[in-house]
Amino acid sequence: MNLEAPTILRRNILTATGCGLGALALASLLQDDLAASQKGTYANIHFTPRAKRVLWLFMHGGPSHMDLWDPKPDLAKYSGKPLPESFGKVMTRRKVAQNPLLGPIKPFRQYGQSGLPISEFLPHMARHADSYCVLRGCHGDSVNHPQSVYQMNTGSILMGKPSVGSWVAYGLGSENQDMPAFVVLPDPRGGLKGGPPAWGNGYLPGEYQGTTFRPGEAPILNLKPPLGRRSGEQAAISRFLQQSNQRHLEARDHDDTLASRIRAYELAFRMQSAAPDIVDVSGETSATRKLYGLDHKVTSEFGTRCLLARRMLEKGVRFVQLYSGDTNGWDAHKDVLDNHTTWCGRTDLPVAGLFDDLKARGLWEDTLIIWGGEFGRMPMSEQGTGRDHNPWGYTIVLAGGAVKGGMAYGGTDPIGLRAEHGKVHVHDLHATFLHILGIDHTRLTYNHRGNPERLTNVFGQVVHEILS
Amino acid sequence: MARSVWITDVGVLALACLVLCHSLLPAKDPHWSWQPIQTPSIPEVPGNRHPIDAFVSANLQTHGLTLAPEADRRTLLRRLSFGLTGLPPSTGEVQNFLGDNRPDAYNRLIDRLLATPAYGEHWARQWLDLARFAETDGFEHDKTRPNAWRYRDWVIQALNDDLPYNEFVRQQIAGDQIHPESHSAAIATGFLLAGQDMPDINLAEERKHMLLNEMVSTVGSAFLGLSLGCSQCHDHPYDPLPQKEFYQLRAFFEGDLQLKERKLGNISARIMQTGHPASTYFMERGDFRRPAEIVHAAYPAIANPSQSTPQKGSRQELAKWITRPDNPLAMRLAANRIWQGHFGQPLASPEDFGVQGEPPIHPELLDWLAAEIPRQGWSLKSLHKLILTSETWKQASLNQRNDPNWQRRLERDPANSLLSRQHRRRLTGEMLRDTMLAVSGSLSKRKGGPGVRPPLPKEITATLLSNHWPVSPDEEDHRRRSIYLFARRNLRYPLFDLFDTPALAESCSRRPNSTTAPQALALLNSNFVSEAADRLAEYIAKNSPEPKDAIREAYQLTLSRLPSKEESLNAEVLFGKAANLSDLTLALFNLNEFLYLD
Repeated sequence: MNLEAPTILRRNILTATGCGLGALALASLLQDDLAASQKGTYANIHFTPRAKRVLWLFMHGGPSHMDLWDPKPDLAKYSGKPLPESFGKVMTRRKVAQNPLLGPIKPFRQYGQSGLPISEFLPHMARHADSYCVLRGCHGDSVNHPQSVYQMNTGSILMGKPSVGSWVAYGLGSENQDMPAFVVLPDPRGGLKGGPPAWGNGYLPGEYQGTTFRPGEAPILNLKPPLGRRSGEQAAISRFLQQSNQRHLEARDHDDTLASRIRAYELAFRMQSAAPDIVDVSGETSATRKLYGLDHKVTSEFGTRCLLARRMLEKGVRFVQLYSGDTNGWDAHKDVLDNHTTWCGRTDLPVAGLFDDLKARGLWEDTLIIWGGEFGRMPMSEQGTGRDHNPWGYTIVLAGGAVKGGMAYGGTDPIGLRAEHGKVHVHDLHATFLHILGIDHTRLTYNHRGNPERLTNVFGQVVHEILS
Repeated sequence: MARSVWITDVGVLALACLVLCHSLLPAKDPHWSWQPIQTPSIPEVPGNRHPIDAFVSANLQTHGLTLAPEADRRTLLRRLSFGLTGLPPSTGEVQNFLGDNRPDAYNRLIDRLLATPAYGEHWARQWLDLARFAETDGFEHDKTRPNAWRYRDWVIQALNDDLPYNEFVRQQIAGDQIHPESHSAAIATGFLLAGQDMPDINLAEERKHMLLNEMVSTVGSAFLGLSLGCSQCHDHPYDPLPQKEFYQLRAFFEGDLQLKERKLGNISARIMQTGHPASTYFMERGDFRRPAEIVHAAYPAIANPSQSTPQKGSRQELAKWITRPDNPLAMRLAANRIWQGHFGQPLASPEDFGVQGEPPIHPELLDWLAAEIPRQGWSLKSLHKLILTSETWKQASLNQRNDPNWQRRLERDPANSLLSRQHRRRLTGEMLRDTMLAVSGSLSKRKGGPGVRPPLPKEITATLLSNHWPVSPDEEDHRRRSIYLFARRNLRYPLFDLFDTPALAESCSRRPNSTTAPQALALLNSNFVSEAADRLAEYIAKNSPEPKDAIREAYQLTLSRLPSKEESLNAEVLFGKAANLSDLTLALFNLNEFLYLD
């Protein structure tokens, strides 16, 4: 309830009614709140944060939990046989319920001091086995991609709700005044199912929108004048704007909204130099480049984006979301071996390198890292060697200082069909993410059409057992 | 096991909430919006005042304030032109109006603007936000609805024709039943079907459930001012409708849902049909897998003072009930929305006339305006004129003439809720785009038809499925008014995205006003703005080869005024440095004065 969070309530009133104070004025208001809370983070209103930034590695299409993280010896045993009747009726996307079971594609081995079992698909991430927690009892509500992509990002299977990144930007703001709070690095191959609304701000105001970044010359849209306009002119334009806007402001009672817009232009001019700097990896050592797989054709694309993600986190970007997977991505309907060899091959080494680098730079402890897709896959086969979508039970991996390392939490039934114990619904995941950031998910609300809406709707239980 | 989004511990939570919240609510809720509309007497104030001014100044008086002086004529002209048509006045219009000394020049201007087709094109936007209108399904394939534009064109036409508001509402709920012979009235029911849809979901039942609940929620938002989202799953103290009444309302639509386009003579459209009325199931916890008792169509009790009951439970009956003159919600909503459109701020929170909404600051004024709607023959154009001829609306938003009392206005009415001056207004993204096209002389006059797709940066289209943004082949179409741009649910037009156009996912009655750096980057660097600045510069250069004249003309075209001496000098410096007129025109597009109306 709002009553318990006066500061958030104040922000809600200001933003939701649009009664004059613009975003940047709010940002400075937040700064005042920061000073008032003395401890340094806005989230102190609720409780001590265990992480202050988030990195989400989103594996689009649905990675196969029983082939990567959730070993199922029984599934190997019953491979080729039909699903025992005791499992009851299963809702599937492609009517695979009657198909023979398909055993795990690759063997699992135990890694690290914890002996966490990980499949041979992920030899590099396996090096860090003692550093993350594998949540094997995750589940969601839809067998369809876009609904599940929306749900994993926004809590709802419908479109148009604010994404986790937007909520976090709304709740915590940015640590770097020259950079957006929430950055998305889509797969350059495009075609996320459900499209950009997956990282949309929904009914939250535009200042909490995710900003899309790309590697290369033009990291964000409209950063530079179009070809043919020389950038030297911008200084003159900027001066002219400031002079005119200042006069305009003085004649209008120093209106906060107008003043905010003047500051927005200052920020835009600063972003023009900050954004290219952040994507300029030329200063990175060859050891670092190698660590992320930039020296290999297969890994360099995802590796580059992982490296950019680290540079952003380092520079104070609050929430970075990185997508792996084109339209089909990890969606291994036909041949899990072929599909996961490709996508693990592209991402496993860069992710492991990113983990090493975050640890080496002291960013590991206070970053929450999420690895996972929109759902997992079915134990039954599809087209012989493929698997269909499975929202009823799958694995999400959480890493960073906030979670217990080398831990497997929860689990599916003996064949990986449904979450059975230590069940973690998507709402529970979201509640846990916010908790790690110091936010009580029941108190981060936004007044939308008269209702105090939250990321977790009326649901969500924090999974305390996995917190370090 | 496989718990659906709707099945969980919601009962427990809702109960906890119920206990907590009910202790905060009065036992018998005399909530203002559900009371019959009063016809308040107009307060006695000195002078022969416009009724709106009588209400507002009586209230101001109690705070030791008076209405602010009238804004200057140039400001009024810009306000009127943008307020009614979404477009700036042309230089000729400025000259004509400033030179028109007839006593009724102002009223004539209102009449002229209300009669232009641009009026409907502008005001349709507010309605299409409420109707969560888009031309695609959303979700994975985000398929195009090839005839969705017919509904958009219907709204524009209805507003331009000044279709009486009660009829405007009725046709959108049940035009096919009320006027079975009229294609146009059937197309109006496209309102009900304009929302998101998941045609490729596994279970047809789930799709239908989602569509119907979404439809009922939208009807609640658009016509009753009630936010019904939560009541599809549980009884909630915030929500004015118990869960059962949500499904009773849904029963009006249950038999009539039509998922495919239907033939209407030689065209097709996404419209409702008439099926079997009029019952549905009470879905436990909003889960379509858990139908409980059968419920029959009934009107929401809170808005039904005469306790009438539907005979058959048809949409037609619902449409007529909503627009009965003794139904307080529909008229208050209409008055509130038109007011919001002209002041930027509503009289009461437009999205929620329920107990969570802000109570109106001027309840008598709102009721007087609402009661005025049937008296004016349900004409929205008359309602516009009524508001626009008030001194309240004509007030200055800034201290133009060294008014010694101005400071008192700011101190005693800091948020301007008492209306001690006019609100400063920001153009919407759509208005901003249209204005840049209009002042650069390149706005196309083409009207209606399927949405058009101007070119977009490849970085944007790369986030979509391939072939989701085929650029319209005719270049003139790229310069059409924003209302005619293709509305794809999975991709808002980038400039609109930045300037708070809603997500088109649910009914939206009030947009936020964000101020962000990416907005500035788009206005400084995007191809669209750059090209408009170039075109404006070319146009000016043709008429005014001398820099001084060019600067004067640039100010006149973009801001409807001449530059001050200081501004001329600054512009000359910029001009001198850049030696390029299009840098000046680009800079003018970025001014606060260009984006905000006084």
